[in-house]
Amino acid sequence: MSKDISRRDFLKSVTAGSAGLAAAGILGTTAFAEEETEAQTEAASSESTERVVTELDIPEAEAPDVTDYECDVLVVGGGFAGLFAAMSAKEAGSNVLLVDKGRPGYSGLSAWASSHNFFDEGYGDSKEEFEYAMMYSNEFLANIGWVQVWEEESKSVYEKCVELGILTQYTKGEDAGYWVDGTVQNDRLVDYHLDNIQYDRRLAFTKALNDQEIDYVEHTMIMDIIEEDGRIAGAIGMHVPSGTLITFRAKAVILCTGSGSYKPAGFPTGEDTFDGEYMGYMHGLPVTGQEFEDFHMSASYAPGNVLACNSWQYVENVWLCAPGGSTKENAAAKASGAAKSVITPVFDSAYGITPVDKYELVTGNGRGASTSEDESDPRTGKYSSAVFKGDVFGAAPGMFTHFAGGIFCGIDDTEGKTGIEGLWVAGDGTNGCMATGGTKGAPSGWTSNFAGVQGKMAGAAAAAYAGGVSLAEIPDEEISSLSEEILAPLSVEKGYDPNWARDILTSIMGPYWITIAKNETSLSSALDQIVQFRTDIIPKLRATSGHDLRLCHEMKHKALVAELKLRASLERKESRGYHFRTDYPYRDDDYLCYITLQKGDDDSVEINKVDIKDDWKGDQTMSYEDRYGAYFRFPGETEAKDLSETEASSW
Amino acid sequence: MAVRRYDLNKCIGCQNCVNICPMDVFRFDTASNKSVIAYPENCQSCGQCWLNCLGRSLYFDDEIHAFALTASR
Repeated sequence: MSKDISRRDFLKSVTAGSAGLAAAGILGTTAFAEEETEAQTEAASSESTERVVTELDIPEAEAPDVTDYECDVLVVGGGFAGLFAAMSAKEAGSNVLLVDKGRPGYSGLSAWASSHNFFDEGYGDSKEEFEYAMMYSNEFLANIGWVQVWEEESKSVYEKCVELGILTQYTKGEDAGYWVDGTVQNDRLVDYHLDNIQYDRRLAFTKALNDQEIDYVEHTMIMDIIEEDGRIAGAIGMHVPSGTLITFRAKAVILCTGSGSYKPAGFPTGEDTFDGEYMGYMHGLPVTGQEFEDFHMSASYAPGNVLACNSWQYVENVWLCAPGGSTKENAAAKASGAAKSVITPVFDSAYGITPVDKYELVTGNGRGASTSEDESDPRTGKYSSAVFKGDVFGAAPGMFTHFAGGIFCGIDDTEGKTGIEGLWVAGDGTNGCMATGGTKGAPSGWTSNFAGVQGKMAGAAAAAYAGGVSLAEIPDEEISSLSEEILAPLSVEKGYDPNWARDILTSIMGPYWITIAKNETSLSSALDQIVQFRTDIIPKLRATSGHDLRLCHEMKHKALVAELKLRASLERKESRGYHFRTDYPYRDDDYLCYITLQKGDDDSVEINKVDIKDDWKGDQTMSYEDRYGAYFRFPGETEAKDLSETEASSW
Repeated sequence: MAVRRYDLNKCIGCQNCVNICPMDVFRFDTASNKSVIAYPENCQSCGQCWLNCLGRSLYFDDEIHAFALTASR
């Protein structure tokens, strides 16, 4: 079913729908109104019906009792990667502590997983076919070493997720009578969610930690890792609500801190601010995959409204998908499909959105279903209730393509072991493993499962390491010096509000000429702005609370990665996957490499190219036209490479 | 667009919003057993507080007063 509607019409319908409840706002008020009728009947006249809508004064948050922890393995982040890292290290006998900036299960991107995929030869999945498909659909940059780890480990992660209750299946909103018309204004999302609260996969994260007696510390942002004598000694963090600093002494640390973006409100990546990548880079580790942009869509009629696009899939099941559709035969089609999801918005950007904004009421269609035709195969694909899906590229500008960007552990690494002894990285946006080669050629549901796989690998390795070393001593002066640095924004008398800085940064990094259709001039001018921003604004960010301190440090992280992204985008003078240069609108196999960036002396950025393995490069004897031109072409590629006009060159 | 208060009377003090908000928007007033929307400017509109509000004390302001920036418009 498809529907064209203008933004004006949309807003009109919203207004009409909520006319009687204007004072109460729009989203959710219909559901509340229905609910309230029942509630009021129940409550009769026992309480006043006069609503109170003013907020109480902001109270001071209580400081935590414990401010010094010791453990074998410290896991930073409580999403899929962090959960599996913690469980795997615990299982190997380590004393594990997990720290999360919010609450495990609700923080980062893991809270928004809507599908889950695993590999199973028992259902006919073929390694040869899948690896070929990943190689070709990811344009010969996929890290096949990690793809093979996924083939081996993904089923065990799936089974563990089932055991933990993360993948429990229950009746979808449409079938259970909660769906009204696919809009958040009218659909009964709150009723559906609260009536099915026992199935909420987000609750399963803390339950798993509790059941397995893994301690965790919530609402605490790790600000820096601590190295002593060339190895990990722990980390320093801050309990955000109270602004209390906490020392974590650990033999090994696993960063599972997710990705980041320069986002509007329209996609829930606000908590992901490149924290792990920042810490790794500042400690001298290389990062990679910076130039490959995420692909998620927002809605042109309501770009600030994540719920409008994803409402049902965020409250319904995590749907099970299969890699079976990724074969040699359809690798080209997959590459084309993935690329077109970017190229179409390129055209929308270049020529502007049409006056009649388009969005589509998309109903569940079994996307990503297994091709095994085996009735016992649970991978039935995505079947979420219908919602109006987004039509505008860039829900989270600046976010890396899933499993491209992050800290680079070397081309042979398959456990997330970094160049710092005792430090591992795992998960989307933190481990820059380039498993997807900078193109979303991976099947639906791959990300959530693969994060678990990486966590599992890193957890086991970190536990084995921690078993053989003692805690490194952290001198008190080190703690004092780090504390002073973290708290510095509290002493800035005249400075800048981190929320203002956020908007400036978003304005520099958000436009399509930075994220979708890049060129030398657009990138260079943005780089000038970012250097100015980092020099002038970052040192003068001002805080008056723990809440502000978090924002100040997040802004520092986002600004550094902005610079790295721009430098990497300038360096890759070709177009490939989700990196499109209008001034180099074609593939160039001299760039079959991972571009790494590393902190040099005097804060310079050292850029290097790491050649990928020959086995991962596909058939290089093919003609350009066969190798690339048949799949899809970037705008301008046909002319630049003098290719014949085919379906791939028409949009 | 951000979380808003529908009716503070309906807040039962479950603290779900305080505990699960990834953006540290909420605080809790122990004396009155009520949550406080402290930093709505940092709300990322994910809706988790609203979906998990046991007293149904919260709602979402869906009015768009300015275009949220996306990459292509």
